[in-house]
Amino acid sequence: MKRRVAVTGLGVVTSIGIGKEEFWKNLIQGKSGISKVESFDVSGYSRSFGGEIKNFQPLKFITERETKRMGRASQLAIAATELAFKDTKADAGHLDPDKSAVIIGTTMGEANIFEILNKAWLEEGLEKVDPFLVGRTTANLLSVNLGIHYNLGGINMVIPTACAAANYAIGYGYDLIREGRIDFAIAGGADAFSRIAFTGFARLYAMSADICQPFDKNRKGMLVGEGAAILILEPLEEAKKSGKRIYAEILGCGLSCDAHHMTIPSEDGITRCMQNALKETGVKPEEVSYISAHGTGTVQNDLNECIAIKNVFGEHTKKVAVSSIKSMLGHCMGAASGIEAATCCMAVSEDILPPTINYRTPDPDCDIDCVPNEARRVKVNIALNNAYAFGGNNTSVVFKKYEG
Amino acid sequence: MKDNIVITGIGVVSSIGIGKDAFWQALEEGKSGVKPVTLFDTSKLRVKMGTEISDFKPEEILGSKGLRNLDRATKLLLCAGKLALDDAGLEINPEDAGRAGISVGTTVGSLWSISEFDKSALRDGPHFVNPAEFPNTVINSPPSQLAIRLKSKGPCATISSGFTSSLDAVKYGIDLIRNKRAQIVLAGGVEEFCEQTYLGFYKVNLLAGVKGPELSCPFDKRRNGVIFGEGSAVLVLESQESAQKRGARIYARILGYGTSFYPYAINKYEPQGKGLKKAMKFALEDAGLSAENIDYICAAANSTEEADLIETEVIKEVFAKYAKTILVSSTKSMLGETFSAAGALAVAATIGAINKDFIPPTINYAQKDPACDLNYVPNKSSKEKINKAAVNAFGPNGSNSCLVVSKI
Repeated sequence: MKRRVAVTGLGVVTSIGIGKEEFWKNLIQGKSGISKVESFDVSGYSRSFGGEIKNFQPLKFITERETKRMGRASQLAIAATELAFKDTKADAGHLDPDKSAVIIGTTMGEANIFEILNKAWLEEGLEKVDPFLVGRTTANLLSVNLGIHYNLGGINMVIPTACAAANYAIGYGYDLIREGRIDFAIAGGADAFSRIAFTGFARLYAMSADICQPFDKNRKGMLVGEGAAILILEPLEEAKKSGKRIYAEILGCGLSCDAHHMTIPSEDGITRCMQNALKETGVKPEEVSYISAHGTGTVQNDLNECIAIKNVFGEHTKKVAVSSIKSMLGHCMGAASGIEAATCCMAVSEDILPPTINYRTPDPDCDIDCVPNEARRVKVNIALNNAYAFGGNNTSVVFKKYEG
Repeated sequence: MKDNIVITGIGVVSSIGIGKDAFWQALEEGKSGVKPVTLFDTSKLRVKMGTEISDFKPEEILGSKGLRNLDRATKLLLCAGKLALDDAGLEINPEDAGRAGISVGTTVGSLWSISEFDKSALRDGPHFVNPAEFPNTVINSPPSQLAIRLKSKGPCATISSGFTSSLDAVKYGIDLIRNKRAQIVLAGGVEEFCEQTYLGFYKVNLLAGVKGPELSCPFDKRRNGVIFGEGSAVLVLESQESAQKRGARIYARILGYGTSFYPYAINKYEPQGKGLKKAMKFALEDAGLSAENIDYICAAANSTEEADLIETEVIKEVFAKYAKTILVSSTKSMLGETFSAAGALAVAATIGAINKDFIPPTINYAQKDPACDLNYVPNKSSKEKINKAAVNAFGPNGSNSCLVVSKI
């Protein structure tokens, strides 16, 4: 028997708010989290803006000892998990370790520790490379650190499918609960602001010099951000019985691969991804109220995504609201689709759609309803969370309003 | 496991053989893949050995086109994937490309690519990095390149769980099929030999040769660390129904899987192996088997003092009175510790054992450790007809997984 799956807790750590309340309030006010990059020297770059979280205080969530043995991505992931636990009024100590899972998506893993090591290796030589830090670089440590912090066993893995990673993690958590393998999933994504990512996107000329303007005719590119988001997933019937707040029901997810190019998205791949999501969930295009777009703000991505949406939604395209919160946060890499999943949950729960900010000039090729600049109060029944990635690894997760 | 998932193709790129036949033959002969490192300078280190694939010529398998910007991890995986697909007699056609999925275990993708890209930016300035090398810095790059190369348009997933990555990727692949998101899945793992990972293992004191002989000698009293290695194995998974419909040769059936993370400490083995014990029990339960049904255990023992003892103790607990008779061997004695690729290589080896009626030996076994007293098939393979086998994977960060396979 297949079980229904509910989202019962949200934990977000972003440049516009730490914790669901602050994040959501700022998101629907259209607040931007973009600022001058301070975590490393950007004087040698032609770009200098990003979505760093300037007020993240790890000691609110972990001990000083832990801060020394974890990279920033793990710290963000634990903070988001702590907030999600609080939100759902659960604590790890009461979980059955054999029926729990920690599944985290990421693009860069613990890249910032790696960046420290590379710098030391280059400047001071191999002998100076700190062996203590070496063992703290691998991507799987995001979920391992979470497991150790909460003393939680079970299923524990990282799914590093780049910028669609959190959606993969949430999708797999959904699968595991649905089939009864587990009763509790901590699923989402985390990425710290990365010098490697910043360098790469700058060098690909994919990065904007100032603001991120998805779907705008004059959009100049993406911005690198950072953050973490964790969704608590539980069997819906159990959550209902225990009287928990249910933000949304997850109906399923669509997956596809472009098999086309590492960095250039393909409209075919993302079309099939959304089609797979609708097919798997039995949702009709006209039933979808909202699409949280991948919407990076690059010319190519937004154009392809709009074409794909038209391919899938046809005559209903104009009736579906499509916004990109990357206009406010930049692209938080592997965390992005986790933060956007939390956004979908809030949208179906609160009946408010966050805007695409910085929208000034309509692009006739992107003639979708992008909820320009102002949040919108409207009934939101079903939300589709799109995420695409380097390597053409696409996912769309479907969230539905829960009405008791 | 209720799903009737079978393995119909095997692609192996290893230090002891490329292609499944060469690989199986080398395992049967007890050939060692350990040799002096040539890919980088080890003169300043106290260790010199590894299991590099010294005769690796990807162009012979992939053709010469489109290889220029690919890193070593990607080329290894591409070769294993191509060999697996050919072995299964499959072609991915445009009409059903969306029904083909990929699920690959890798923990760092290509660490070499990530590090070199970053160092180039630090050394030469961010304007002078090669933009064509940036895509290689994402961990999902090797599996995505495999999808591009094979035009496989279904789900493409990357799983990172350290030492258990590729067994967990096989399970993710099974789930793609059971959830009807794919009809066939190429599942496996990859690990490249590179200076960064080698030094990483060296710096955290995992490598053999510092406290004792530089040998991969699992269960032997002299064991003192791993010989780091590389390789890739890819398995073609599909339902038995799908395999029979297309008249495919079926190598083995996957009966069960179990995993159990045990939170303990970073880079330390939990001494009692509580997680591994659970993983093995869950796998047996999932397979609907009891201990006496298992004929062979392809061990994860990697020649570290702790791991081999832990695995021995866990086998004794789980298999009780059968522990002394069950055949246990570690292919890592030949292949070294191939980290994220190890689980998939062990499955490929176990399928060889099932199909060719031999048990791969634990080579370099000379000095008995009284605490490790199981039947490790020392030094020479044995001729045995086996039916059901368990494949283990576990590591010092707490991840433990086990896969049970059987003859069809």
